Amino acid sequence: MSESMFEKPSRRSFIKLGGVVAGSLALAACAGGGGGNATSTASGGTQPGIGNNGQVGKGRSGATADTLFIAGFQWGAPATFNPLAPTAAWPASANVMQIVYETLLRWNIATGEIMPGLASAYTLDGTKTITLTMQDGVTFSDGTPCTAKDAAATFELGKKNPGIATAAFWSAADAVEATDDKTLVVTVSAKTKNVGQVLRMLTETYVLPSAVFSAIADDKLPTEIMDKPIGTGPFTLDKADQTQVVLKLNENYWGKTVYGGLPVMKQIIHPIFKSNEDGNLKFQAGDLDIMQQFVSQIWKMWEAGKPVGTYLKDKPYYLPGSMPMLLMNTTKKGLDNPVVRKAIATAIDYAAIADTAMSGYSAAVQPSLIMPTGAESKFFNKDEAAAKGWKTDPAAAEKLLTDAGATKGSDGIYTLDGTRLGPYTLITPTGWTDWNAACEIVVKSLKAIGIDAKTNFPQQAETTQSIQGGSFDMACWYVSGVNPATPWARFKDIMSQSEMQPIGKTTFANYGRWKNDAVEAMLTEASQATDDATKKTAYDKLDALYREQVPACPLMYRPDEFYEYNANNFYNWPDEKNSYAPPMFRGAGNTWMYKIKKIAG
Amino acid sequence: MTNIQSSAVVAETEGPLVPPEPGAATKARPAWRSLNFGPRLWVSAGLILLITLLAFVGPLFYPYAPDQKVGSLYDSPSAEHILGTENFGYDTLAVLMSSTRNSLINGLLAGTLAVFIGVTIGILAGYVGGWLEELLMGFTNIVLAIPSIVILILISISLQSTDIPFLKGIVGLALVIGITSWPWTARAVRAQASSVGTREHIDVAKLSGARTPGILLFDVLPYLASYVVMAWVLQLASAILAESTLSMLGLGPSGTNSLGMQLHWALAFQAVATGAWWAFLPPTIVLTLISFGLLYLQSSLDEVFNPRLRRGKKKNLAAAAARRAENARKLAEQNEREEVTA
Repeated sequence: MSESMFEKPSRRSFIKLGGVVAGSLALAACAGGGGGNATSTASGGTQPGIGNNGQVGKGRSGATADTLFIAGFQWGAPATFNPLAPTAAWPASANVMQIVYETLLRWNIATGEIMPGLASAYTLDGTKTITLTMQDGVTFSDGTPCTAKDAAATFELGKKNPGIATAAFWSAADAVEATDDKTLVVTVSAKTKNVGQVLRMLTETYVLPSAVFSAIADDKLPTEIMDKPIGTGPFTLDKADQTQVVLKLNENYWGKTVYGGLPVMKQIIHPIFKSNEDGNLKFQAGDLDIMQQFVSQIWKMWEAGKPVGTYLKDKPYYLPGSMPMLLMNTTKKGLDNPVVRKAIATAIDYAAIADTAMSGYSAAVQPSLIMPTGAESKFFNKDEAAAKGWKTDPAAAEKLLTDAGATKGSDGIYTLDGTRLGPYTLITPTGWTDWNAACEIVVKSLKAIGIDAKTNFPQQAETTQSIQGGSFDMACWYVSGVNPATPWARFKDIMSQSEMQPIGKTTFANYGRWKNDAVEAMLTEASQATDDATKKTAYDKLDALYREQVPACPLMYRPDEFYEYNANNFYNWPDEKNSYAPPMFRGAGNTWMYKIKKIAG
Repeated sequence: MTNIQSSAVVAETEGPLVPPEPGAATKARPAWRSLNFGPRLWVSAGLILLITLLAFVGPLFYPYAPDQKVGSLYDSPSAEHILGTENFGYDTLAVLMSSTRNSLINGLLAGTLAVFIGVTIGILAGYVGGWLEELLMGFTNIVLAIPSIVILILISISLQSTDIPFLKGIVGLALVIGITSWPWTARAVRAQASSVGTREHIDVAKLSGARTPGILLFDVLPYLASYVVMAWVLQLASAILAESTLSMLGLGPSGTNSLGMQLHWALAFQAVATGAWWAFLPPTIVLTLISFGLLYLQSSLDEVFNPRLRRGKKKNLAAAAARRAENARKLAEQNEREEVTA
């Protein structure tokens, strides 16, 4: 007889079903209760960079006192440490903390500066070339020197195999040349003249040993399995299995003169958890020192006396670094009208999204494609945004519709120019919890002003396909986070005409298929501007057009990386009061490795 | 065979509980008085009534609407909001009442639909027999062989992308659950219908010119009524649980409150980890109470309908036994008299 749960209305199936529901909850409850009080904390710490509640731990003793426990980057068993592989394991995966592989330049998300990496400095020649000077005595972990030639060869790999991420470099640059062992000259593409995009690639591309990678066949570059990665970073891979990745300090690290010594920890361990929840419990217990994971209501941790800290001491706790957008398909009837799109942007209850869906981790959303704080703040035009933008106001949203001649039907839904507004389906991938919740709030806001909408959360692949192919009505989706190429890259993602593809063809920019004749010239102007004043003028024009047309609207601000630490074993973590380093792991986030201090001993 | 089915069959083969007895005795003591409504029935019925009141009457007196943002993410219980707020900042109790209502409506629709389909197919197959029975039971067995959770998940996913408003909400989900959970009812009803079909009163009905639909409705169905009622109660409960399971997996209807959706969001927003018990315990408890209440109701109904399972206070049992003995004696006397007069 079949054992399925639903078919037979018997007592047995009943108890089984009830058991599944109750049992899973009971299990979860046990797990929740278990991890509470493992840390004993000493109160009244006066050291910098400790828990948000002023607490600091007593430190671990024994071998783990010199170990940094980190999490949130690796979720499955590590497959390969080949940085060119799309499935590379941490820390060989793209644009993560630079502990095994390093980049030429490093991006600082807090200040917008581009800081030295393997290159000590760079100079710009208008929009023609970027000249980089290598640091002194850079070596790989096997002792061989790392020169400008290795850097040039790294970018050349992108020409050999178009399937690796480095290939994208060649759409922004025309040539890379090592004029001597210490000098690298990058020629910016004469066609696009987009220096920002080239700089972005320079801050995100690991320099690889040419001796190792020239020995690999071109078509094998992304698939070659590597278990002994050789990079320039301060750590080397010790061992890796399905439970953890262990890195050990390279005592001969070239950078010890540049950074004034070696990193504080002798070992870095990244335990591999099955879920966010497991990692969060370990973090709360002080078994992790720092991590990059979404924690709902993280303040509960320091309210419970744990020495847990974030960069900002008050809401939103994290520095904003990305801008999930409400994309609107401008080829759909109703949504093709900028008035309707503006009404939608005006209707959405952004405060509710920030407060509940984002667990309070989002600042107030501005009607702009420019991040109002941090690196991009210098381009943000506050007065214009206030005067010409929108903020949550259902009455004003309805007025926009009625002024345009819309009439309300008996079902409470407006009809404009013979088109009933909705039902529109708002999609985002299933399991992206905070976005799912944000979508529910958007739909409720739209229904409240008389636009019919519903949510649908398909699998990620299906969502991606629907968005890139243009079959969606509305979607919650990501665009460029804060990097050296933004805000230009974000304007391009939303408004680009040249990269837009017709409905049915895959596009990677302007998913909403918004059409405009003037914007392409404005985008070029912004990408080719060399100084901040010209850039700001160009961005002001773009942002004004954006506010008039509203091809998409930001729903919330998310941190680029969730930076949270537990001062159980180390203190002097960077935070807003102790801001010697940005709250990052990638890019300039390597700085704190040398500055944190051990509590015990 | 499960105990409900077998016990119902036993009840049915034993014949009517009260011997048909013409004359003064029936008038003096109506048949329903002989039904033994034990305390278990009253407790379970009270429980169901309480939950129904919470779902349908509660919202009329509660000051907060289930879609009214009154706080932030998981505010603790307070004087104004005795169960705090859930992840959208809505009052948990208001959402709970609306969820319970939707879950009950869903269960009622799905359970009724399943019983309707199951009884129709079962009674036709059992009574008519022949090739129709083979056909209907063949179909039932095929449906039984397909794991219904798979069908449920597949249909729910496709329902989410439909544009037909009628199918989007709780009604659509109820339809899906209803049309996947009828086969066992159909099989059990068929077995009983084929047994009832061989009884004398059916022959009488046939001789008096009744047509098949009339016989099914008035001469077969009433004899299955006790089983059908119990099957309906169970179908109702399992439909509510099925809805919760689907919604908890995130396959529930968008923008609708239900007990499963509440659990879904509570899990998604880590209510367990952050200790927000008020977000996940209330729906769990209500779900448990509904299931428990309905199961209890079913088993106490079973006792009412099935004398073998009947229990109660000794003196009641003794009185019932005395009553039965008295009936038997009267019957014997009557037979004797008839024999004498014959």
